[in-house]
Amino acid sequence: MIRVRAVFEKTGRAKYISHLDLNRCMLRIFRRSKLPIWYTEGFHTHPYYSFALALSLGFESHCEILDFNLNDDDISLDYVCDTLNGVMPEGMRILSVAPQVKKITEIGCAEYTFSLVTERPDELSDKIGELLASEEILVEKKTKRGMKTVDIKPSLDVLGMEKSAGSVDMRLRLPAGTETNYNPSLFFEALGAFTDIPFTPERICRTGIYCKNGEVFS
Amino acid sequence: MLRDRIEKYLLQIQKPSRYIGGEVGSIIKDKLKVDVRFAFCFPDTYDIGMSHIGMKILYSLTNKRENYWCERVFAPGEDFEAIMREHDIPLYALESLDPVRDFDFIGFTMQYELSYTNVLNMLDLAGIPIFAKDRTQELTQIVVAGGPCVCNPEPLADFFDLFILGEGEEVNLELMDLYHEMKKQGASRVEFLRAAAKIEGIYVPSFYHFSYKPDGTIESVTSADGAPETVRKRIIKDMDKVYYPENFVVPFTEIVQDRASVEVLRGCIRGCRFCQAGFIYRPFREKTPDTVCAETKALCENTGYDEVSLASLSTSDHSRIDEMLTKLLDYTEGERISLSLPSLRVDNFSESLLNKIKKVRKTGLTFAAEGGTQRLRDVINKNVTEEEIMRTCRIAFEGGYSSVKLYFMMGLPTETDEDIVGIAELAQRVVDLFYSIEDRPKGRGVQVSVSCATFVPKPFTPFEFEPQDTREVIEHKQKLLLDSVHSKKIKVSYHDPNVSILEVILAKGDRRLGKVIYTAWKKGCKFDSWSEHYKFDKWVEAFGECGVDMSFYANRRFEYDEILPWDHLDYLVSKEFFIRENKTAHQSKTTPNCRERCSGCGVNRKVGRECF
Repeated sequence: MIRVRAVFEKTGRAKYISHLDLNRCMLRIFRRSKLPIWYTEGFHTHPYYSFALALSLGFESHCEILDFNLNDDDISLDYVCDTLNGVMPEGMRILSVAPQVKKITEIGCAEYTFSLVTERPDELSDKIGELLASEEILVEKKTKRGMKTVDIKPSLDVLGMEKSAGSVDMRLRLPAGTETNYNPSLFFEALGAFTDIPFTPERICRTGIYCKNGEVFS
Repeated sequence: MLRDRIEKYLLQIQKPSRYIGGEVGSIIKDKLKVDVRFAFCFPDTYDIGMSHIGMKILYSLTNKRENYWCERVFAPGEDFEAIMREHDIPLYALESLDPVRDFDFIGFTMQYELSYTNVLNMLDLAGIPIFAKDRTQELTQIVVAGGPCVCNPEPLADFFDLFILGEGEEVNLELMDLYHEMKKQGASRVEFLRAAAKIEGIYVPSFYHFSYKPDGTIESVTSADGAPETVRKRIIKDMDKVYYPENFVVPFTEIVQDRASVEVLRGCIRGCRFCQAGFIYRPFREKTPDTVCAETKALCENTGYDEVSLASLSTSDHSRIDEMLTKLLDYTEGERISLSLPSLRVDNFSESLLNKIKKVRKTGLTFAAEGGTQRLRDVINKNVTEEEIMRTCRIAFEGGYSSVKLYFMMGLPTETDEDIVGIAELAQRVVDLFYSIEDRPKGRGVQVSVSCATFVPKPFTPFEFEPQDTREVIEHKQKLLLDSVHSKKIKVSYHDPNVSILEVILAKGDRRLGKVIYTAWKKGCKFDSWSEHYKFDKWVEAFGECGVDMSFYANRRFEYDEILPWDHLDYLVSKEFFIRENKTAHQSKTTPNCRERCSGCGVNRKVGRECF
């Protein structure tokens, strides 16, 4: 048995597949592929696979991580990649299949790009600057133990911000992984509470998943 | 582009993947290379419509033709409908995301009466005139319907250009071929409808005129424009060779029947007198075990489903059921696919069959006993004896089952209080049986669920003449049933009588109901089959405003010599047979199943060959 890791993208119509539905969808992809997927042993045997991070409904991604095991140690991973791509739904595509290098627990953060669509990009951009300069950015976050106020300021890493005719486009790095997971929607909420300028987040895309030490997760 | 406008709002609504298409197995074509476009509309939500096997068959079959494109359309949920109306998003098809109003055919499948208002609502959302008479004279936007409800399409006659009677596999393509040809010639809408009316199985309601007697019954039905006096339904002669899809559209979101489904037979040999499906799908035809296996394999491989169910009215009536299941289980077990077998009958539920199913999975058992006493079961020709029910329950309990669901109907012809008490007594004897068994499942008690539907007499059954019990009588019987149950092991549930009342009226109604349906929809009625949306008071208002008497359709006996609203439609079974069966029912006598002895329903004569 070999443990492999696929990186896949989820774009276009596929962004409307919820995480729960993605699970079921993946099961059927494996079944259609007829690849020698390793099944769990036990009473309810099922193909074993897992996703490193959940992706919010409506977000696109170029870097989703899917781990699974194969029964055939000598199988060509390019063949696995091509076979899966032959049975994927529109908008989902495997970019690479390789042996698992790092542990899931090493994941530290994820990078996102998005556009804040607005009729007043100049003002909104100024307001974002003000928000980012403030001492703390408090938002309500839903946790397993109810609502909790968190300060996202220390872990918010703005990598880029550009104004265009109808939007402010940003690149943001946020903590992700087994310990802390901040969704970009927390930033949208904070901004919405900070300013009255109407904006709509669009084209939200996860562009990278990184380890705590800054390396690309693979 | 419409797609951008749709996507703008998708994240505000429940289960958005239902509204954007792109599923594995959905078929995309280049519309510039397509000659005829068919919007296959299911008048309910995606979750329900996507489970419908007929849609899957006709979708794939139409799309096999390179120059025809069939797409799927469902009723939007309440949240999305509000957005569509607010932002002028017209009803669209899921493959191209093009507006339905641009299609050549807008075809609805009519599976149940309580979906009628959804048709009006969908036409309205599409921007297509609701009444057929208001549509363009040009040859486009032909609104058609098929499915079991169109065996009496009269309540819907005002809204449709034509109805397709019977099985669609052949006639749908003939209809599209005719359209394609006439469109090239520049024909008008009415010219097309005239030509279509000459195809067997096509009923164009606007060519038929009804007149009524002073007492409200039908005086005559006359046809015009060269349309035939009676229209006969279409059937597929060779079931084993009939087209069956090798692939389904596999939804992302979970639907009601989220599995591969293979049709094993059509029609039914039983002749239960209340069952419309048992008559309108005659003659009985089955697929060979090899065909069923090949279709199962193709479907599972192409869809990736790990669950398959066999579809039919009564799977255990397949003449080679054991061979079929053995072959199927060979495949499914090897591939870790679970096989489910709905529609098994009590009376030929053999031990070996049960063991085969048990190999697959252990879920609850369901028996449709329908009547509480033997006398009543004889009346309805449900040829099941109490001994058989008990025997099957014993096998089930000994095999480790501890819950049984029993289905009954209430308000059946000739039914008395004794029959109602009989339901409770039968359920009690099933409970007692459980505790009398030595090696019963230990550790948990038995659970007998009694589910009681209100009887709805339907066209093209021996009970088509029968009145429905009034609400007062039904409520009395429901109370009596509850009072007769003395065990906590028995759970009773029953249907809302207000729903059954509307069902019977729409099932047995005539053209005068068109304005009632329209009025009810205008008052906000839609999704009538969803209890949270059903507005019976609005319906009552609509009947009142239109001057239509509900009890005329619901609680009146239709006479044998009366012209019934569906008499000009020929579903192969003769009216004489239904009258004969109705009389036999009132004598509490049974009729043997078709395989035992032909009871002369007339199908074989019309089809031109023996059924067996």
